[in-house]
Amino acid sequence: MTQAMNDRELKLDRMRYVKNTASSRLCYLAILLNVLYFVSIYKSDVGSWYYQILVGGSIVYNLLFMLITFLASEGVKNYQKNFVWPLFILGALQIVRIFLLPTQAHQATVKVGGEEVIVMQTAQYIRCIIYLAGSAACLILAGVINQRKASALRRHIGNIGKEAA
Amino acid sequence: MAELQLQHLDKIYDNKVQAVFDFNMDVKDGELIVLVGPSGCGKSTTLRMVAGLEDISRGKLLLDGRDITQTPAKDRDMAMVFQNYALYGHMTIYENMAFSLTLRKEDPNVIHKKVLAAAEILGLTSQLNKKPAQLSGGQRQRVAMGRSIVRNPKVFLFDEPLSNLDAKLRGATRREILLLHKRLKATMLYVTHDQTEALTLADRIVCMSMGHVQQIGTPLELYDRPDNLFVAGFIGLPPMNFYHDMGFEDGRLKGNGFEVELSAEEKETLKDYYGKEIILGVRPEDITADGPLQVQVTNNENLGMNTLVHGSLGSNCRIVAKLRGWSEYRNGDSVGMRFGRKHFFDKDTTNAIRKEEK
Repeated sequence: MTQAMNDRELKLDRMRYVKNTASSRLCYLAILLNVLYFVSIYKSDVGSWYYQILVGGSIVYNLLFMLITFLASEGVKNYQKNFVWPLFILGALQIVRIFLLPTQAHQATVKVGGEEVIVMQTAQYIRCIIYLAGSAACLILAGVINQRKASALRRHIGNIGKEAA
Repeated sequence: MAELQLQHLDKIYDNKVQAVFDFNMDVKDGELIVLVGPSGCGKSTTLRMVAGLEDISRGKLLLDGRDITQTPAKDRDMAMVFQNYALYGHMTIYENMAFSLTLRKEDPNVIHKKVLAAAEILGLTSQLNKKPAQLSGGQRQRVAMGRSIVRNPKVFLFDEPLSNLDAKLRGATRREILLLHKRLKATMLYVTHDQTEALTLADRIVCMSMGHVQQIGTPLELYDRPDNLFVAGFIGLPPMNFYHDMGFEDGRLKGNGFEVELSAEEKETLKDYYGKEIILGVRPEDITADGPLQVQVTNNENLGMNTLVHGSLGSNCRIVAKLRGWSEYRNGDSVGMRFGRKHFFDKDTTNAIRKEEK
């Protein structure tokens, strides 16, 4: 059967046996970027400001994010389409998060020794945006790649079935 | 095209123990050579020297006339199949089979073609997405062979590949290896201690003992015309019966409390040993229960088509006869037996005594 296949068909046929590592690796990268964001956001002299908002909720969200993304990475590895939506939703939430903690902290000021100080300096703010935006991009890209590959694989398997019949 | 020449190979370890002595052999293209012998005879060491996994202490190894004695294992264009399969447990069968080609950075589409072709040959197509732990021992060994096939090497090396399998599976996998050899027409070196494997698979057998080659020949040559006492005793199941100190007098062999009539041809063979003592060898399947030699039965084993009769002959010499059909001798029965084809060995050199060929 492989003799008659052209390069494109061979590439499709390979997906029957080779995992979707592109999508799963993008998920891992998203987790890494999220961790980098998480460890860098509290890197400030005025940590007390953060305790005024839901720091506990943020921790729980980060744990859930890592868990769901990891599970989705295993799903997309096997070209499972139903893991695409969690990735899109998490990606969108990462974008939304840019406008929550980092933006608020960047706009907020506190008094330190009688002097008004910005909670989050611009450099740290940009870093946080890069981490969150990068993480969101990885998740959405992983979802798109998986959606396209899974659809192509499904069609290819359908064609094989028809040929066999 | 893959001709292998092993020229005067010696293996001496750092502790001065010599494992292989002066191994000489020419392996023809497409030949399946089986190295057989008891544990510690040097057969695996020889194979590992060919593979490049052991240094060659002395001698030369040529592949298609090119000296590869010092060539690293990875550049020898040989593939080895091990007893313990050596598969990666975390990879699928497809990934295991593709692994060596992936390391070489071959085109993924080419790898795919090769893996599918090998899987089809070995009947593994439906197993490609499974992990090794989900397969039986025989299937795992086929995967190990598949991993070799995809590389399309010049020489296949097998190091006791069936030893981990149960008897039934061993038989089936043995037939698969034979079919594979016929299909690929590849040069293969196969190491085993199992003489059944050796006799059924080999184009030629190399029988080894204590690091020395005892005999090289076709399975029939080794079975029918063993060069010495070791080969005669090692090849054949049950092993050949040996009777030491048999004197050749008056056209008969006498000793150990019994005597054996010889044919004219046998007398001619032993003409130079008149008055001397030799070793007589008789295969269990060359003994019939219709003769003058009185055997006291000690055990009777029915195998269905044959019966193995164990007993004592003459002055308490052990004898095993493989008689046709179902026999029910009891312990202590006396049975008259006859020796058919006989083998003679020099008492001092243990080499076979044969009529000089003209």
